[in-house]
Formats: sequence, C-alpha cells, structure tokens
Amino acid sequence: MPFAGFNMPINYKTGIINEHKNVRNHSGIFDVSHMGQILIENNESYLHKLEKYIPLQLKKLIKNRSHYSFLLNKDGGVIDDLIISNIDIKDKSYLYIVYNASRKKEDEEIFISCAPNTEKIYKKNCLFAIQGPDSINVLKNIIDIPNNMNFFDILISKYNNNEIIVCRSGYTGEDGFELSIPNEIAENLITHLLKNENTMLCGLGSRDSLRLEAGLSLYGHELNEKITPIEAGLSWALDKKRLEDENLNGNKVLSDQLKNKLSNKKIGLISTSKSMLRDGMILFDNNNEIGKITSGCFSPNLNKSIAIGYIISEFNTDNPIFCEIRKKLEVVKINNLPFIKKKYKKNGSIYE
Amino acid sequence: MGAYMSEKKYTKDHEWVSIENEIATIGISNHAQESLGDIVFIELPSVGNSVKAKDEICVVESVKAASDIYAPIDGEIIEVNNNLENDAAIINQDAENEGWIFKMKISDSNQYSQLMSEDEYRQFLEQ
Repeated sequence: MPFAGFNMPINYKTGIINEHKNVRNHSGIFDVSHMGQILIENNESYLHKLEKYIPLQLKKLIKNRSHYSFLLNKDGGVIDDLIISNIDIKDKSYLYIVYNASRKKEDEEIFISCAPNTEKIYKKNCLFAIQGPDSINVLKNIIDIPNNMNFFDILISKYNNNEIIVCRSGYTGEDGFELSIPNEIAENLITHLLKNENTMLCGLGSRDSLRLEAGLSLYGHELNEKITPIEAGLSWALDKKRLEDENLNGNKVLSDQLKNKLSNKKIGLISTSKSMLRDGMILFDNNNEIGKITSGCFSPNLNKSIAIGYIISEFNTDNPIFCEIRKKLEVVKINNLPFIKKKYKKNGSIYE
Repeated sequence: MGAYMSEKKYTKDHEWVSIENEIATIGISNHAQESLGDIVFIELPSVGNSVKAKDEICVVESVKAASDIYAPIDGEIIEVNNNLENDAAIINQDAENEGWIFKMKISDSNQYSQLMSEDEYRQFLEQ
C-alpha cells in the first residue's frame, strides 16, 4: 500500500490479527524507517528558536530521556506530533527528533529554519520498533540493555561495533524499544532478532489496531492543524510553564482552553454489533449530529470493532449514541481510553 | 445431477458462481479473500429478495475494509450460509467451498454463460 510516499506492507504472511496477538503475547518487529529522524545540535540559539513551536523547556531536557511533544502553529493547532530526546553522540550533545513521514515537508521546513545544519539521519539510519512483553529478552540477546532502563529512556548501544540509538518506547501500549540502526547493518540486526521463533515482522495494519487499543493518537486522524493538544486530550504533554511564554505559538489560545470548557471532547467507542466502525462515520444523539469517528478498526483483544472520535462536549454520555453505518443507525457504547491497560516499564516519567 | 452441473465461473467483482438445477451458489474468490485479509463480519442478504445482476446485496467486513458483494446474475435469494454469522473467518479458510455466502434461483442462464471461466478469471487477475 502506498503510505506517505513509501510502499508499505499492511501485513506479512500470517495476517493482521495474528501479528496483533503476537505483539500482545510475545513480540513483533515493525519497520518504521519511513518516519523522519533528525539530529539538531544542542545549541542555545537553536533551542530558543525551536521553543516557538515545541511546548517544552528544551534547555532543561534531561539527558538520555525522551518526551512526547508537538510542533504547534500560531493558533496552537498541531503541525505534527513527535518524540524529542536529549542524547550525546560521539561526545556531542544533540536533540534527536522522530516525526511522522506524512509531515516531513512541514516539519523539516521548521527544523531547518531554526537550525540550518539539522542533520536528516533517516538518510543513513533505518528505524525499527520491537514491541511486546518479550521484547526485552529478544533484544537483550543481541545488544546490551541496562536493567534499569525505563519507558522513554534513550541511550546509545552497540551491535557489531556500530552505534545504534535505543529508546524504550513504542506505539502499541506494550513494553518495547525503537532502534535507529545504520542502514549497512540493519538487515543483519533484524535477521538476528527474527531468529527468535516467537517474534515476527508486523505491518501497518496491526500497528494501527495496536495503537488504537492503546488509545494513542494518529496524525491526520485525531490530530491536525485545526485541533490543539488540549482538544485532543493531550494537555498532559504540554509544559504548563511554557503556556505563559509569548515565544510559544498559540500560548494564549492554549491557556484559555485550559481554563474554559472545550466545545468538543475525544471519546472511545465500542460497536454493540459485529459491524465495523471506521474513520469518517458520523455520530448522532436521538436527533442531531454530535460528532465523528476519526479512527476505527477491529480489536482482536475485545473481538469487536473499536473507535476513537470527537463529540460535542455538551452531549450527556448517559444518553444513547448512534453511529451511521452504511446508511443505518446503530447504537455504540462509549468506552474510556485506552481500551487495554498499557504496560510500560517506568518509575516517574512525564508520559501519563 | 440436474440439467447442467456447472463448472465454476467468476465475475469481475471477484465472486464465484456454480450452478446446479438452476440454483446458483455464490461466494467470493480465493483471490478476493487473500486481498481482503482477516474477515471479521458478514452482513448476509435477506432470503426471499429478488435481485438484479450488479445489485449490492451484502457486505463483507475485513480488518482492512468493507466490501460490497454484488449479485452476479438476476434471481431470488433462497438460502444464506448461516455458519458465517458466527464465524466469518470460514471465508478465509475455504472461500470457494465451505465459505459460500448465498444461493439463488436464477431466471436467466445466459447471464451465467457470459461470466468468466476459471482460466479467463486467472488471466483477468494477471492483467
């Protein structure tokens, strides 16, 4: 399937549901090399310029930690969501940023305007994720992972004397790691991981159903330039101090939104029949349109279709809510996000 | 055996049809099943409905997408495969036998002769 200019597999041999279950029960490996990865020198003037777009105190980021954040436009809308880390590579301090393939053009325009010598390391490094409860053991067999590494810790490890960037993170709600691997050794490293018979390659299909069960947002669905992080239910990821800073895009809009009632809210939905809930379906109360589904899929864990969407805040969630599925209205059930319990290894991180 | 026990024929919408005693059995092809991926739900047509060729008559939902199933020829729906209600994945396992979807009494056997043979369908897929 064509995806953000890449030809990507929806699934490998055994199918989406099997890949999904294998990640929940064992582990699975995702090739996410289509995503953007850049290095920006940790230089005060660059950081100051970047702080116009990124709602974190970039000068205070702790070394070897990653943070979920955003690039914001003038109205506080989300240009992209990203993971930003402070890491030393060959004795030099950098911000390492991973961002969406579909937003490379917009993001890189900003990165380069703030830091002209931004290095696009996705040209020489692949990005893979290994996800699931067994990830740690599968990965430990081939590279060094310290025992005290927590969720969103990031470090440099080595495989055959080549440096790889290892971050304990992912997009499935499971424990796991993302690995930035030099192109020359990527195939060897992944083949080595796949020697474990309980792991397998997984495609975009299971990546989507896993992240949806975990209630995680996807750019272009739950997030876009017209939605702020607060409207998307992600205010936990904003550094509240930065909202007082005139240098941050949309700081006034965001502070106001924190104080006042929002017009829309994000919800989780479960199908009450066997019908599938899909992106774009319209939601109704007894009479009127009240919202829209932004992502939907079949949940292998719940054996039912699940979805994320936005509805107007004044809707009383004790009342029945209907979804228009192929011209018929079906009752759907509101469910708290996430649909599954997340299993991150952590002791004190800013991530939820 | 009836007046004609047919070979299996195929439509451009990836349905298969076989005919026995003027009763057509219809399902989706193995190729369609493979491209849809895991099938999780099927909305079966209503027994007793009269349909025309190309009418949308039921829907197969897979993890990837919802796909309409069209009537391959004119006729009346006389039976549906109720086993699929509880386990639509039967279509993934055996699309062209156990995974049959519905049967219809056909009104015009000429329409059937105009469908593709297995060889023609294979060529159609390669195009």
